[in-house]
Amino acid sequence: MSTVLTEPSNGSKAEVEATSLDRPPAWPHRHLLDTDVLTWPQVELVLDTADAMAEIVAKRRPRSDALRGVGVTNLFYEASTRTRVSFEVAARHLSADVVNVSVGGSSIEKGESLLDTMRTLESLGARVLVIRHAVSGAPYLVAREFRGSVVNAGDGRHAHPTQALLDLYTLHRHISGGSLRGRKVVILGDVLHSRVARSNLWTLTAAGADVWVCGPATLLRGFEAWAAAGVGGERRFTVTTDIVAALRDADAVMALRLQQERMAAGLLPSTHEYAARYGLTAERLALAREGCLILHPGPMNEGVEIAPDVASGPRSLVKKQVANGVAIRMAVLALVTSAGERSDR
Amino acid sequence: MSAIASRPARTGAGAEIGRPVDLDLTGAWLVDPSTGREGPAELVVRGGRIDSLAWLEGASGDANERGVVVAPGFTDLHAHFREPGGEAAETIATGLAAAAHGGFTTVCAMPNTTPPIDRAAMVEAGRAAADASGSPVRLLQVGAATAGRAGEQLAPLGELADAGVVGFSDDGSPIQRADLLRHALAYGGMLGLPVIDHPEDLTQTSGAEANDGLVATVLGLRGWPAAAEATAVARDLAILAEVARDVPSARLHLTHLSTAESIDLVRRAKAAGMPVTCDVTPHHLALTDEWLAGARRWAWQALDDHGIPRDPWRDGALESEPYDSALRVNPPLRGAADAHACVVGLADGTVDAVASDHAPHTQVDKAVEFGLARRGIAGIETVLGLLLEAVDAGQPSLLRAIEALTVGPSRVVGDAAGAAPGFAEGAPADLVIFDRSARWTVEAEQLLTRGWGGPLLGRSLSGLVLLTVAGGRLAYEDAEPA
Ligand SMILES: [Zn+2]
Repeated sequence: MSTVLTEPSNGSKAEVEATSLDRPPAWPHRHLLDTDVLTWPQVELVLDTADAMAEIVAKRRPRSDALRGVGVTNLFYEASTRTRVSFEVAARHLSADVVNVSVGGSSIEKGESLLDTMRTLESLGARVLVIRHAVSGAPYLVAREFRGSVVNAGDGRHAHPTQALLDLYTLHRHISGGSLRGRKVVILGDVLHSRVARSNLWTLTAAGADVWVCGPATLLRGFEAWAAAGVGGERRFTVTTDIVAALRDADAVMALRLQQERMAAGLLPSTHEYAARYGLTAERLALAREGCLILHPGPMNEGVEIAPDVASGPRSLVKKQVANGVAIRMAVLALVTSAGERSDR
Repeated sequence: MSAIASRPARTGAGAEIGRPVDLDLTGAWLVDPSTGREGPAELVVRGGRIDSLAWLEGASGDANERGVVVAPGFTDLHAHFREPGGEAAETIATGLAAAAHGGFTTVCAMPNTTPPIDRAAMVEAGRAAADASGSPVRLLQVGAATAGRAGEQLAPLGELADAGVVGFSDDGSPIQRADLLRHALAYGGMLGLPVIDHPEDLTQTSGAEANDGLVATVLGLRGWPAAAEATAVARDLAILAEVARDVPSARLHLTHLSTAESIDLVRRAKAAGMPVTCDVTPHHLALTDEWLAGARRWAWQALDDHGIPRDPWRDGALESEPYDSALRVNPPLRGAADAHACVVGLADGTVDAVASDHAPHTQVDKAVEFGLARRGIAGIETVLGLLLEAVDAGQPSLLRAIEALTVGPSRVVGDAAGAAPGFAEGAPADLVIFDRSARWTVEAEQLLTRGWGGPLLGRSLSGLVLLTVAGGRLAYEDAEPA
């Protein structure tokens, strides 16, 4: 792996920047669309860069000049206050010029196309486009044409790479021993519709974790076949509807949000039945290892996929995830812009 | 091009479209599925009519099946020409020009225009547009099966039959109501015309984006199960079996089959003597859902030696960006095993025809997010190229491939198609000449369709079409004689 930033430097802001930004060890990705294209050294570089960023964040007035004069536009086709604010705070910490654009759901299907919107924002100075979109793959369409960098802030069911990276970062920081190799990590709940689950499958299996995916059969459609094929055609994970088997001796559990729409679509009888069978309760957590870590990408339906006492209990890393999200997004913004701009048009 | 001895001097694109053709083809490889014969032959065309055909015994000069090939003009059972209502995507004139470039001399246009073709006057308007285009390619019209394609009551099938339609279809959608399908089969049978169904159980495909399988799971695309097609096929066949007892002339044609299960259902129905035919598209034969993830290998290259689909992630076969909306099509591109079943069905005769399902769209409708893109591939100009790739890979044979583009589809539409494909002396020449050894690159500038984009752009295909003659008249001629 790369050796930058291995110093847990307590040095100045300038030192941090010099290490992480001025001479990054050849970060090749101008865009971050998913975690699937990241090699393990690249994942480690993100985590290490986030360490440096966390030091900036920890200051009383966090500020780096890394992206001074760089236009970062948050283009959100789905409402998501937490992710949008996290990107916004990250970009401001790096002194970027931040623009927020929210597009209502109804205007997706009529009026200005995504590519037209991209070109307009590009003309207005956007150098980084952070995109949240309800349609899987939408950021790839933009990335094919955009001159600057595209960062996927969640596309449909497909990917949420900064979430997966912040989850990995959080787990690495808090798991005993500091490594996920061989540790049992459970992704619990509505896996079928979850971009968080998909992006996490790439990073967690790359980290060597023993990944288990658990939920009712209707919300695991297709994952048995993916597990058999292996992530990237090689890295195995386990799929089960048996929550007891999943939680037994788990080192970490990531509960996923359950949307009301699943009941209307006939995928589940009721929220009540879901909570009764798959809710992450203190009682069930007794099956897990002592000190099992709890994550949730938020926003939580407390009392449905996660019990309130678990969500706010001592093993919960939910607040840490939010804080780490800023450092990870700072790292991602710095790295993708370090890969340069497209010059062929 | 020594094989085309009397080829006239090039006189500019389209300048002579429609003129009667004279040809002296010496030692070309001629494929005639109407007699099941292929080999070196001499063919003479005078004033647009077949003057003589002489098969040459034994080896003959440079004629071989990998060189210049002469075949009867192709018939496409399934194309969308978008006129009226969608002229920005295609018109009858541009569609016919594209068809001729693809080697087609007869095209059946689907009725899902805006408004749909559900009255005699609309059939006549389409015919007038075809005449006005100057193209000698024959336009046959499929009429709507239900009024306004609304699926609520039968369209005026008798009126449409009198106007010359060759079948009835609500294509774009299935005929959802089973009782209406039953009545359409019986009434169409009485009129001597087939019902052409697009088999899809819409309750299983609401919002669906990609074939339900590994690729859809990994890419987070909403799954489109194979069962949505197979259940519709099974329903249609069960109804057909009953209708055919009362109305022996009832006929069902299932279009763009894409799964192993539905091919097998048709195979068994045919074995039981049922009056059913079916077609597959070239893209369902040659392309698979792994193209959505960025793979660009042919379907037969995506199976291992044991016939098991390969994993493109494991193979490192992902070479392009994922989510190319050009690949969004209905039915969706399937897995390699389904594509293989389509090829096997074609080779063993279960599949009667290869149809383009030419479905052009505008840039506005296609250059958008994958899940919002209109469904369809404008592929009438690449049918031959994709089929020849399959032939080169081992099956079907060249003769069988040409049969599925000529005699097969002609049988489905019956007498309405006009003269049977072949080389009968005295008949108007209806033929295509292509060079199997000449590769061409699919580029937007070379395509005559108005449809935007396409999954094969930039790709090289074999089988350059040199000349298409429809009804004795020039329909297409390659601009750059070699
Ligand atoms: Zn159709």
